[in-house]
Amino acid sequence: MSTAAHAPSLVEELVLLVVEDDGGIAFTAGTPGFGMAVIGGCLVELNLIGAIDADLDGIRVLDASPGRGKALDLVLAEVAAGPEARVEQWVVRLFPHAQEIIRAALASLIGRGILAQSERRFLWVLKERSYPMRDDRELKEAKRRIYDTLMTDRIPSPHDSVLLGLALAGGLLEAFLSKAEISRLEDRIREAGGIDLIVRGVEAALRQDQLVRAQAMLYPF
Amino acid sequence: METTSEKTDRAIVLSPSGRLDFSAAAPFQEAIEKTIAEAAGAKLAVILDCSGLDYLSSAGLRCFLIGARTAQAAGARLIVCSLQKAVSEVFDVSGFSRIMPPVADRAAAVAAL
Repeated sequence: MSTAAHAPSLVEELVLLVVEDDGGIAFTAGTPGFGMAVIGGCLVELNLIGAIDADLDGIRVLDASPGRGKALDLVLAEVAAGPEARVEQWVVRLFPHAQEIIRAALASLIGRGILAQSERRFLWVLKERSYPMRDDRELKEAKRRIYDTLMTDRIPSPHDSVLLGLALAGGLLEAFLSKAEISRLEDRIREAGGIDLIVRGVEAALRQDQLVRAQAMLYPF
Repeated sequence: METTSEKTDRAIVLSPSGRLDFSAAAPFQEAIEKTIAEAAGAKLAVILDCSGLDYLSSAGLRCFLIGARTAQAAGARLIVCSLQKAVSEVFDVSGFSRIMPPVADRAAAVAAL
């Protein structure tokens, strides 16, 4: 077996989605959408472990104690110290940390033997692309789970719904699905993806970001 | 948060009341899963009467999604009814209403069985 101790986190899965089969990085990794999706992934992870909860009005910190890993500690400390704000406002505020979080995720994936770095490429070590879990089950790779979600009418698990929603918001589906496939599956993507208030906050943050960019383009003076 | 349960001839009605947030999510999820298992075994539907539920957070919403998925896998009918405005908004904004459209009240839920 591999040296991987456990399945990747949600943030690590998002990072894996932009690693192409030849080890290159998809162009979408350079977009603001990817960074905001990664921030959203951190917030969802903090929600899953009970450090925060979220509603339509904002994020509530339930337990600000550190020790949850560098990226989550960074995000949690900033949310705990900041003023009350809606999820989308937090996504925008935390966005400057995205690059640091992505690099930490890549380092963790390499350190745990899921990826290997070769010059400027990131190569899969696990040939089967399933992750051994602590209870002896295996977790299918993120891209395969997204395919499975899209190709059936089964109600997705919360984890897979969030993964699909953040992948859509971050433009990550384009890294492994053609535009024609995305267009054909659009209804199912909308139905099954992002059934989560934090993911909807990421989408709202992206719309806000795009509006600001559009206004800057049209009204430069 | 409290959750009560009652059995009719066609369904088990689960009625959560109060605030469904992270602290209430685990016991509520357990109650939903137990009810679905019981209903599937007895060939009954499950009605989630949310008339007393006045707050739903992200963690609470996850319970409904897990419940919908569990019911689908078990072949049990699950109907959500009587949403207060604040909870209805969470269903709509999150997109959960697309997966499981809620009905107006318990009478509509029974009629839909």
